[in-house]
Amino acid sequence: MEPIASHENWRNCFSEVAPGLLLFARQWVHSAADAEDIVQDAFVKFWRRNHDIDNRGLLYSAVRSLALDFIRRDARRARREATVLAETEPVVEPHFELEDDTQSALAAAVESLPRDQREVLVLKIWNDLTFSEIAGALGISQNTAASRYRYALTHLKKTFQPQ
Amino acid sequence: MNDFSELEKDLKKLRPAQPSPVLFERVGEALENCRASVSDAKWKRWRFTETPYNWWSLGFGLAAAAVLILFAAITIERWHEHQQTVAQSSAASQTRPAPLGAERSTSRSGFVPAGGTNLVYNARDEGLHFTDGSERPVRRVRYHTQQTWRWRNPETGASLRVSYPSEEIVLIPVSGQ
Repeated sequence: MEPIASHENWRNCFSEVAPGLLLFARQWVHSAADAEDIVQDAFVKFWRRNHDIDNRGLLYSAVRSLALDFIRRDARRARREATVLAETEPVVEPHFELEDDTQSALAAAVESLPRDQREVLVLKIWNDLTFSEIAGALGISQNTAASRYRYALTHLKKTFQPQ
Repeated sequence: MNDFSELEKDLKKLRPAQPSPVLFERVGEALENCRASVSDAKWKRWRFTETPYNWWSLGFGLAAAAVLILFAAITIERWHEHQQTVAQSSAASQTRPAPLGAERSTSRSGFVPAGGTNLVYNARDEGLHFTDGSERPVRRVRYHTQQTWRWRNPETGASLRVSYPSEEIVLIPVSGQ
């Protein structure tokens, strides 16, 4: 893949990574608008620093960090998020463009995953990160990332019933 | 991992929702603004808030150190005075006993530093952050400590202890992969 930061047309790069980044950001914030704000900040910082695509783990790390800061910054919002979290566990609503009932069932199964497994799955499946990159982005070991991914798939295999 | 290949295929077929077109415009504007402010950013690279130390903690620590140095200087000075008084009174004792009250008054304030501790009771890793103007991310670690300083008067056995909480934020540069 072409180095992301040396690419003259940032729009191509952004359109390539933005859906996955948004999905990742929505692990923490439920509002799509808030997630877009976070992704915008992270991408602009990443681009401005002229990082290479080899360091794209940093982009996801930045999204995660900004999302957590965002939650901390506004205590009222954090409480509301926590309430939603408690009421609608599992929290995350990965927004997919669903085409049929099978996909709806699969999306629901993904949403039912524990958060730590889901974030690894989101990074691996829809962002094409390696376990090494996932480990760097989440601040965990590579083995832990691989284990969480395997647990997530095992969990999905049990819960997902194709229509 | 082969057991999951079908499932992985199904997962990859799920397409995340596309971002709103407005987001592209906003990112474009932000990047334009960044280009315009690059030269400014170089000026501000070492701004107060971007340095990797918590200035409040540093200031507080320096103030505490200054107090300690002052206290030590006074203690040493008084110790010298006390020695002089003892020497004078020893010389004078051949003819006249030294007043006991004068010696006691100097020994009362003869505290000497007896040690100090810096107890880190909480260290919180706050994850990776980008500080403005920095090329690389840094890991932010927040330390909560309890600093305690002790003085002791070897003559009277009295001791003095000052203890205060302190917070320190350390930014540790991390290397990219």
